[in-house]
Amino acid sequence: MITVKDLHKSFGKNNVLNGIDVEISKGEVVVVIGPSGSGKSTFLRCLNLLEMPTGGQIIVNNQDITEKKVNIDKVREKMGMVFQQFNLFPHKKVCQNITHAPIKVRGLKPDAAKQLAVDLLKKVGLLEKIDAYPSSLSGGQQQRIAIARALAMQPEVMLFDEPTSALDPEMVGEVLAVMKDLAKEGMTMVVVTHEMGFAREVGDRILFIDQGKILEQNSPEEFFKNPKHPRTIDFLSKVL
Amino acid sequence: MTHLNFSFIGQYYQFFLIGTYYTIVLAAAAVVLGSILGVVLTLLRRSRFKIIKLLGDIYVEFVRGTPLLAQVYIIYIGVPMLFNGSDIPDLVVGIIALSLNAAAYISETIRSGIEAVSRGQMEAARSLGMNQRIAMFDIILPQAFKNILPALGNQFIGSIKDSSIVSVIGIAELMYKTTIVRGNTALGIEPILVASLIYLVLTFSLARVLAVVERRLKQSDHR
Repeated sequence: MITVKDLHKSFGKNNVLNGIDVEISKGEVVVVIGPSGSGKSTFLRCLNLLEMPTGGQIIVNNQDITEKKVNIDKVREKMGMVFQQFNLFPHKKVCQNITHAPIKVRGLKPDAAKQLAVDLLKKVGLLEKIDAYPSSLSGGQQQRIAIARALAMQPEVMLFDEPTSALDPEMVGEVLAVMKDLAKEGMTMVVVTHEMGFAREVGDRILFIDQGKILEQNSPEEFFKNPKHPRTIDFLSKVL
Repeated sequence: MTHLNFSFIGQYYQFFLIGTYYTIVLAAAAVVLGSILGVVLTLLRRSRFKIIKLLGDIYVEFVRGTPLLAQVYIIYIGVPMLFNGSDIPDLVVGIIALSLNAAAYISETIRSGIEAVSRGQMEAARSLGMNQRIAMFDIILPQAFKNILPALGNQFIGSIKDSSIVSVIGIAELMYKTTIVRGNTALGIEPILVASLIYLVLTFSLARVLAVVERRLKQSDHR
């Protein structure tokens, strides 16, 4: 579904990604881990071109999205993204946060969009917050709304950029639970996270990125039981 | 101490009424047109095309760096020259001058407001498939607007006071009329005091209205 070939990204002289090759198939949950500053967030942000790659190809459904002529808005419609800082729209109520893009981008009728918001809020367990403003919600609630908002565009793949890193510890679980449900439903997911428990339990495959390269990738059992690369072993010894 | 003499008001109150009317027309036009032009100017200055951005920047620097009085004269004399000396009503010239001036300041205010909205907002909007225009108008500008409302309020109040400048080209706004009353009555300060009181009523009323709007917009911050 997504094929990344020799992906490079540099900010000025700073080379963040140094040739990433990876294939992500439909329905797969790929968990990306690595030390901070390793380029894992940049990799994720390149996938929907929030960062423009400086080299390489990203092929989504047989289309190289790094080409100039590609309508990136169309590509992004099909790729939901969840941010570390939630980024809910503070001037809109929860309902409008979810319905705005479906109405303006997908051309949904307001009634249909509202129904969609209701369904999605039920799914993330926050229907009672439909008329609340984001500022009145806890971090965990905001992040669950952010997931619902991304799902409202009916994406084919969901990108998660450290979705629980800005949360108080007691709120991490509720967000991971929503993500787990999503994985069970067969959503294709790419998740950058420090939650090793989630990686082990929900991931189909782990990518270990350091210094802008994939140093190791494997199934969660193998990855955590028998890490091979010395950097992986070192990293795991620190976080586990 | 000499006594102040306000007995002229009975005879001259219509001068003040007409002057106030034109002051309100000038200020309202400057605020509305200045805001529209200010948004356009801001978007030009955020253009990908360097030359457009540069022209926008030069415009703002020119307006900020020269006196409004000079700008009024430039437009008063310059615009008719552009149109081969055809006659443009003075009121229109005044509105153009005040609007163009306000636009530059409003653009600066909007720019600071946009920059204060976190980058994540634009990223979230774009990642949902909104194009640059929808993201800007529906997500970024409403938040920027809320940030800058107090500064914008100052600008609007400034527009009321700035409108007095166009008295120099003979527009019959409040200060122009006040000058006539002073000449006719040979009173130095009393007509000025009356005019000042009228300005104060106008600016204070506007400030109250803006305070209400601000409170409304703050709704999403609480509960």
